[in-house]
Amino acid sequence: MSLFLLTLGFGVVTASVLALASVGLSLQFGVTNYVNFAYGAYLAFGMFFTYTANTALHLPFWLAAAVGVVATGLVAVLINIAILEPFVRRGTSGFFLLIVTFGLSLVLLNAIQAIWGVGFDQFPIAAGSPIRLGPFSFTAAQLAIVVIAVMTLVAMHLLLTRTALGRAMRAMSDNPSLARASGIDTHRVTLWTWFISGSLAGLGGITLALNTVEFQAFTGNTFLFVIFGAVILGGIGQIYGAMVGALIIGLAVNLSGLVISSAYDLDVAFVFLVLALLLRPQGLIAARGKA
Amino acid sequence: MGVVIGYIATLGVYFCIYNIFAFGLNIQFGYTGILDFTVITFMAVGGYLAGVAALGPEQPGTDIYYVLGLSLPWPVALLIGAAAAGAVGYLIGLIALRRLRSDYLAIVTLAAGSIVYGIVGNDTRLFDGFEGLVGVPQPLSGVLNLNPNDYTVVFLALCAVIMAVCWFLANRLYKSPLGRTMRAIREDLEVAEAYGKRTFRVRMSAMVIGSIYVGIGGVLTIWFVTSLAPAGWGTGETFVVWAALIVGGRGNNLGAVVGSFLVAVLFNEATRFLPAISSLPNLIPEIRNICIGGLVILTLWFRPQGVVAERKARFFVVPLQHGTVAGSAAAEVAVSGD
Repeated sequence: MSLFLLTLGFGVVTASVLALASVGLSLQFGVTNYVNFAYGAYLAFGMFFTYTANTALHLPFWLAAAVGVVATGLVAVLINIAILEPFVRRGTSGFFLLIVTFGLSLVLLNAIQAIWGVGFDQFPIAAGSPIRLGPFSFTAAQLAIVVIAVMTLVAMHLLLTRTALGRAMRAMSDNPSLARASGIDTHRVTLWTWFISGSLAGLGGITLALNTVEFQAFTGNTFLFVIFGAVILGGIGQIYGAMVGALIIGLAVNLSGLVISSAYDLDVAFVFLVLALLLRPQGLIAARGKA
Repeated sequence: MGVVIGYIATLGVYFCIYNIFAFGLNIQFGYTGILDFTVITFMAVGGYLAGVAALGPEQPGTDIYYVLGLSLPWPVALLIGAAAAGAVGYLIGLIALRRLRSDYLAIVTLAAGSIVYGIVGNDTRLFDGFEGLVGVPQPLSGVLNLNPNDYTVVFLALCAVIMAVCWFLANRLYKSPLGRTMRAIREDLEVAEAYGKRTFRVRMSAMVIGSIYVGIGGVLTIWFVTSLAPAGWGTGETFVVWAALIVGGRGNNLGAVVGSFLVAVLFNEATRFLPAISSLPNLIPEIRNICIGGLVILTLWFRPQGVVAERKARFFVVPLQHGTVAGSAAAEVAVSGD
């Protein structure tokens, strides 16, 4: 029982990382209506911008992390302006946009590996002696991950429900042409969406790196399928769905480690992805016209 | 002299193998519109199964573990490899080809590919894990007893024959009623369905036939290099096949051949012989992957139909009263999206 609770605690940490990354992907998926296969590279950007800001510019870690988050958001906006937006404006079907983002992931991941090397890196605060909290045991970094995730998700909730930008995003996610017809500046909303999506990817990447302790260029890309699992389980564009999906898959991935080798984490996430597609392809929280 | 011939024959073998890969992907993506982002997985399945079918039983004490080890003759191994790739294609198709949006399909294929990768890599009992299979017997090499350069020429002839058969059959498929239905589905699945086509079955046929093609290419690969390890079939390799098809021109097999030549032979294989910088051993593959990804994006921007564009179906000259309703509808649909 104590092992179960201990693992449950780690599951909450994984779910927190997953929720940050999934909400970012789901938000962009909902607003622009195509999936970004290069998202794993955005996680890597978050990790390595933070790493460089921390080690080369000697910024304190949390300030470096903030730099990493904002810089990843900006990179996402730039990539959208330079590559994706022109294709969308030309009316390229979603079909070919997927191939473009797939190619983009190859380009970005290899560029990241060429710049920052193939070896494993580590954030200074990632390792640390565990703190016992009742039946649970976390490192300080893991506790920070949970706190950051909760704060960020609350902020996302407020953004989407209380601000004009958030309402515009939800409107575009529901019906882009109606949103445009009602006078929403869809171009501006799309750019903000990419910024927020990229920032959340960056934050997801940083927290993932803190949780796995060691990271390299492809760490985020391997995690991408777990993110897809959470997004599809939750329902595309449904950010609350993505949170629920992240919680379910995050807990399942860790708890399955009690029974089978943790080398099969990805397979557990895949089983959920398949079950979601077979039983409820529209996701736990259905989005009309998106399945 | 023998070395030069051997080198050219080596490039020729890769050309034939990538042609077969590109035909397979063309049947899935070019004909039917299935976004198979894990092409290379089928190559691996075909190669591994043909490998363990041809290898003898595993030797205790060598630390090389694998299943089967049937010592079968090479034509049987080829059939086993092709069938295994088709079977895996069927299993992935069962999930991916349900009536879902294409994003889901792409995600499922990509995810299934990395699951296979993880299982093959982590489970050393299957195909010796990340170490991979080694010493797979080459067809006829025991009978012919040639030096490696001459053997490469013989092997090239074998590959060329298999490639020619694959090309012929792929062209036949393109013109057949099944092929027309595939293209109708590519253009609009709902219209094809409204005309009573069993879209799931047709898409599944394309998925399985394409997987078998790629599996045959995988068998030829493991015969040629005599070994196969997971490092040889990452996502980057899938993208080489995609790049070949997109650059050459999707939907037509001549385009697949041109693309295989331009991307897989001239670009990809030729750069393998560039001198590596010893301090940065990964730089050349990284630059190659960046260029291939960039090449696809640029092609989709500047010439989305590829170097050799698919010929448009001439539906205006088909008098409506001659064809059956479903037949002319398929032709009509095939035109509309070009």
